Amino acid sequence: MTRFVSLVLLPLGLAAIGVVLIWTFYLAATGEAGARLADLALARVPETGVSNPVTSVLLNYRAYDTLLELAVLLAALLGIWSLGPAAPGFQRGGEILQGMVDWFVPLLILAAGYMLWVGAYAPGGAFQAGALLGSAGVMLALAGYPSAGLPSERLLRLLSILGILAFCLVGLVLMVLGLGFLTYPPELAKWLILLIETGATLAIGVTLAAAYLGGRPDHTSEVDAP
Amino acid sequence: MIDSLALAIVAPLLGAVVVTLFPRHAQRLGVAAAVVSAAAALAITAVVWTDGVLRSELGGWGVPLAITLQADGLSAALLGMASLVALSVSVYAGGYFSSPQDGERLADDSRSRHFWPLWLLLWSALNGLFLAGDLFNLYVTLELLGLSAAALGALTGSREAVEANLRYLLVGLLGSLFYLLGVALIYTAYGVLDIGLLAEVIAPGPVAATAMALMFGGLLLKAALFPMHFWLPPAHANAPAPVSAVLSALVVKAAFYLVLRLWLDLYGPITPLGAANLLGLLGAAAVLWGSWRALRAERLKLLAAYSTVAQMGYLFIGFPLIAATAAGPARDNLIAAIVLLALTHGFAKAGFFLAAGMVQKTAGHDRIDNLGGAAQGLPAAAFTIGLAGVALIGLPPSGTFIAKWILLEQSLILGLWWWVLVMMIGTLLAVGYVFRVLSRAFNREPTPYRFVNDARAEIPALLLGALSALVLGLAAQPLWTLLGQGVIG
Repeated sequence: MTRFVSLVLLPLGLAAIGVVLIWTFYLAATGEAGARLADLALARVPETGVSNPVTSVLLNYRAYDTLLELAVLLAALLGIWSLGPAAPGFQRGGEILQGMVDWFVPLLILAAGYMLWVGAYAPGGAFQAGALLGSAGVMLALAGYPSAGLPSERLLRLLSILGILAFCLVGLVLMVLGLGFLTYPPELAKWLILLIETGATLAIGVTLAAAYLGGRPDHTSEVDAP
Repeated sequence: MIDSLALAIVAPLLGAVVVTLFPRHAQRLGVAAAVVSAAAALAITAVVWTDGVLRSELGGWGVPLAITLQADGLSAALLGMASLVALSVSVYAGGYFSSPQDGERLADDSRSRHFWPLWLLLWSALNGLFLAGDLFNLYVTLELLGLSAAALGALTGSREAVEANLRYLLVGLLGSLFYLLGVALIYTAYGVLDIGLLAEVIAPGPVAATAMALMFGGLLLKAALFPMHFWLPPAHANAPAPVSAVLSALVVKAAFYLVLRLWLDLYGPITPLGAANLLGLLGAAAVLWGSWRALRAERLKLLAAYSTVAQMGYLFIGFPLIAATAAGPARDNLIAAIVLLALTHGFAKAGFFLAAGMVQKTAGHDRIDNLGGAAQGLPAAAFTIGLAGVALIGLPPSGTFIAKWILLEQSLILGLWWWVLVMMIGTLLAVGYVFRVLSRAFNREPTPYRFVNDARAEIPALLLGALSALVLGLAAQPLWTLLGQGVIG
C-alpha cells in the first residue's frame, strides 16, 4: 500500500500540480496585462542616482525590502550564535594551500571593493561584494584560521549590523528633513546608495563568514587573525 | 514630516541593532526599545481611530513603483493588540531570564543576551507585516518573522526544543516559498504588487485561483490550520515561556491576519463559496481535534499549544459565514466578530503562557497532575490562568463570548446548523480542559497569604488575562468604530 502511494500516487499528484503550475504560468505570461511595473521602473532608472537597473530596484525603488532582507541576515546570524559555540575549526593547511590563501584573500577583498563600486552602473553591488568578502572568510577558515579572519566579538557585532544601521539612519534623517523615509534627494541619491551599500557589503561579508564558522564567537581565540 | 508607519517598523529594528551592539546591557536597552516600539505602534492605532486610514509610499516614487505601507482598521486593531502583548512579554522577559534558578544564573544570562535582539527583530517583522500593502514586501516580513521565531523557540537549548523548532523553521520556509510562488504568478499576470492596485484588476480564472491556492496553502501552513498544525504543539510547548506567548498569541495570528486581509481585499469577491467552505471545514476539524488533544494533554504548556490549534480553527469557521452573507451590517458584524476573537485569543493565550511559565519555573515542571501546590502557591498566576480560561471558553463577559454569539447567531440565520454544532462541542471541550487545570489549583494545600509573588512576572500576565476576559467583552464597541476605518461599514 505505502509502495503504491510513494511510487504511483505521489509522483502522479506532483506531476499534476506541476502541469497546473506550468499551464497557469503560461496563461499568466501570455495574458493581457496593463502597464507593467518593469517598464515603468526601467523608464525612471535615470532618476535613481545609479544606472544599473538592478541596483536602482534594490537600493532605491524597493530599498525598504532590502532593509528587511538585511534584517533577515542578522536574524540568521543571531540564530546561529544562539545555538552555542562553533565546532573546532580545521587544522592548519599545508604550505601550498597557505601560499594560495595568502594570495587569494587580498585579491578577493580587492574584487569585493570593485564589485561594490561597479554596482552603480553594471552588474554588481552589495550582495555580490559581500559574497566575495564572505568567501574570503570561508577560504581562511578552510585553511585553518579558527576565526576565519573575523575581528573580535565587539567589532564583529558592529560590522554585522552596519548595513541595517546605515539604512535606518539614512532613512530617519531623510524623514526628519521632511523628504520621507528612504526618499533620497536625486542629487544625493548616488552617494547615499554608495554609503548604504558599503555598510551592507561589510555586514553581508562578515555575516556569511561567521555563519560558515557556525557558532558563537569564542572569546579565547581572538589572537590569530592574519 | 514624521512617517509614523515607517517609525513603528524602524523602532524595534533599531532596538535590535542597539541590543546586538551592547549585549551586556541587553536587558535594560531591550525594555527601553520595547517601550518606544509599543508607543510608536499604539500611536498608529490611535491616529487610525480618530483620523482614518493611514498610507505612506516609501521612497517618494508613488504607486506602483514604491512599496506602500498602510494602516486601516484591521491593521490598527491587530497592531494595537500585538503592541500590548509584546510590551507585557518584554517586561516579563526582563524578570524571566534574570531571576536565578537552581544556580543556573550563567546560562540564563546568556539566553537573555540572545533573546533580546531576536525578539526585537521578530517584533519589527510583525509590525511590518501588519502595515505592508505590497505582496512581495509581505513575503520579506514573513521570512524575517519565521526565521526569528524559530531561533527564539530553540532558546531553551534542549534537544526537543531544537528538534521541534528546526521542523518549524523548515515548515515555515516551505510556507513562505508557496506564498512566494503565488506572488510570482500574480506578478506575471498583472505586473503589479500593490494590493490596492491588484484588487482593481484581478479577475476570476485559473491564474487567480492557482495563485490563491498557493498563497493560502503557504499561509495556512504557517497559521497551523488542521491538518497542517503538526509542527505547532512541540514548537510552542518547548520554547521559553515568553517566546511561547509570542508564538501562540502573535506569530500564528499574523498568518491568519494575512489570510483575512487577502480574502477581504483581493480574493473574496472572486472566489466560489466552495473555497470558503473548505476553510471552514478545516477550521471545524481544528476546533474538535485541537480541543480534544488539549483535554488529553499531560503538560500545561502542551495543553495551551493544542488550545491554540483549536482557537485558530474558530477563526477559520468565520470564512464560510462571511462568504455566505451578503454585504451589509450582518457581514460587517461577522468580520468584526472574528477580529475580536483573534484579539481576545491573543491576550488570553499570551497571559496563559506567561502564567504557565511562572508555574513551571516555580514547580520545576509543568505536569498538570502534579501541579497542585505550585498553582496554589501562586494565586496571581492561577487567577491569570482562570481569566484566560474564561476567554478561551467564551464565558461572558469575555470578547470571545460576544464573538461566538455573533458567529452562532449568523449560522442559525443562514441555516448552517453544523457550524453551530462544532462551536458548541468545541466550547464544551474547552470547559473541560480549562477546568482540568483550575481544579488542580484548588486542592487541600495550606492557603497562601501572598497574592502576588513576583510582580514583574505576574502583573503583565494578569493584565493580559484581565484584558481578554473583562475589558474586550465589556468594551467591544470601540473595535467596531476602529474597523469602520476602511474595513467595514
